[in-house]
Amino acid sequence: MGWKEAAEPVLTRMPSVVRPEGHVPFRRKLGWTAGILVLYFFLTNVTLFGLGTETGDFYGQFRSILAGSQGSILQLGIGPIVTASIVLQLLGGADLLGLDTNDPRDQILYQGLQKVLVLVMICLTGIPMVFASNFLPASQQLANTLPGGTFGVQSLIFAQIAMGAILILFMDEIVSKWGVGSGIGLFIIAGVSQQLVAGLFAWQGLGNVSGFFPTWFGILTGSVEMPSLLTAEGIQALFMGPGQLLALVTTVLIFAVVVYAESVRVEIPLSHARVKGARGRFPVKLIYASVLPMILVRALQANIQFLGRILASQLENMPAWLGTYGQNGNPTGGLFYYFAPIQSPGDWMWWTAQTTAEAWQVLIRVGIDLTFMVIGGAIFAVFWVETTGMGPEATARQIQNSGMQIPGFRRNPQVIEKVMERYIPQVTVIGGALVGVLAVAANMLGTIGAVSGTGLLLTVSITYKLYEEIAEEQLMEMHPMMRQMFGGGGN
Amino acid sequence: MSSGQNSGGLMSSAGLVRYFDAEDRNAIRVDPKTVVAFGILFGVGIQLLNIVAL
Repeated sequence: MGWKEAAEPVLTRMPSVVRPEGHVPFRRKLGWTAGILVLYFFLTNVTLFGLGTETGDFYGQFRSILAGSQGSILQLGIGPIVTASIVLQLLGGADLLGLDTNDPRDQILYQGLQKVLVLVMICLTGIPMVFASNFLPASQQLANTLPGGTFGVQSLIFAQIAMGAILILFMDEIVSKWGVGSGIGLFIIAGVSQQLVAGLFAWQGLGNVSGFFPTWFGILTGSVEMPSLLTAEGIQALFMGPGQLLALVTTVLIFAVVVYAESVRVEIPLSHARVKGARGRFPVKLIYASVLPMILVRALQANIQFLGRILASQLENMPAWLGTYGQNGNPTGGLFYYFAPIQSPGDWMWWTAQTTAEAWQVLIRVGIDLTFMVIGGAIFAVFWVETTGMGPEATARQIQNSGMQIPGFRRNPQVIEKVMERYIPQVTVIGGALVGVLAVAANMLGTIGAVSGTGLLLTVSITYKLYEEIAEEQLMEMHPMMRQMFGGGGN
Repeated sequence: MSSGQNSGGLMSSAGLVRYFDAEDRNAIRVDPKTVVAFGILFGVGIQLLNIVAL
């Protein structure tokens, strides 16, 4: 008896959102998506009950990738889902699960396993976060009046963030089944876009940071002090200081590069076996595995950093080679410093005053970050393609089933697979590694609104995908016949 | 046809969590409206607690 039979009673009973019966009109889909988005924004603004004075964001600079917001019910964001996905990808990619996702029985088990793993990850990240670090301190005032004392308040806080994380999981399921795109993508876009708009337009009165346009208005009218442009300080202030020109250039560049990379593809011509003249193309995109594996690699780095933070708060005197931490909880030396990815220009520009690290330390850190992202990006892209059924064998079967064939070749899944094998594995690895390089470069140059470069990269790519999906959706809306050709859309 | 739309699809932008068509008879099914209603109530409830207690 394998683990499948043993776990079956639990896995098959995991609650799931009902699938819509029949076709959901496009307007209703948009309605659900917008509704979930509003609910998400509302929940990020609900402060945890029983929270004391906070000391900083536990997720730190990883926040833009992991969504949610510090101190709110959605403190955990999509963190547990991403971490659970890492585990599943690694297990599935190495074929340790023994689940065949074409078999309905195994599909149910896979779905259940995802949810159980997310629940486990909620506990694994939530419990240390609440009980073993001081990023979510319990309110002393409340602890004095509540029977449970500090532990009671902490348990309350954990219950709230766990509930919030479960809500995120179900909200993702609603968007996936009833809306457009996926909830995960939606939440990442939401957070990053909010920060980006704030970084462009926020004025001094709103908070303590001034956005790009108000600052430039100030510079041009003379209300913002700038050193003379003829000096080195002046040039630096223009590009990296209040002028933010470097950030603006990077932001625009990321948009351009991602949209360009999304359109680079190898197209394999297809023709219909029976309908003469019906032609199609199977695109093998440069970013074949999409940018989602990038979230997984970044989240892996994030989890290493969380481990460091928890260790630092638990160990009385952590050895210096392991990690030393500064005032705001950022690593300043030791192993955890070198494993921390570069998040902003200030992290690596050793000639400025923003970092105290030596040039060689910075270089080692950049080197480790780059290696991690390139190799990790390639590995996770390969696993992603394997587990989501985008590999040569699975696509060959799909093409065969849709009645198409590659002109000039015999109509046979093995033959199609041979042709696919010439492109898919290579493109996957190159694409994965390329996205890794892009993510590191984007982070190093910094963006408007201090959105991490990776966050912006993900946002642009997910939005592009969403746009494609909406276009396809509208096409099907206009021509119901197309629904059959695209093989679904709910029927 | 049943597996066509969920096995990755030709042009699918699958999310991190994958959902299939297959459903077990035993599974607990939740209506999306229930989830949204619960989310709103939960959020408002915590807000109220914050206002009352502080």
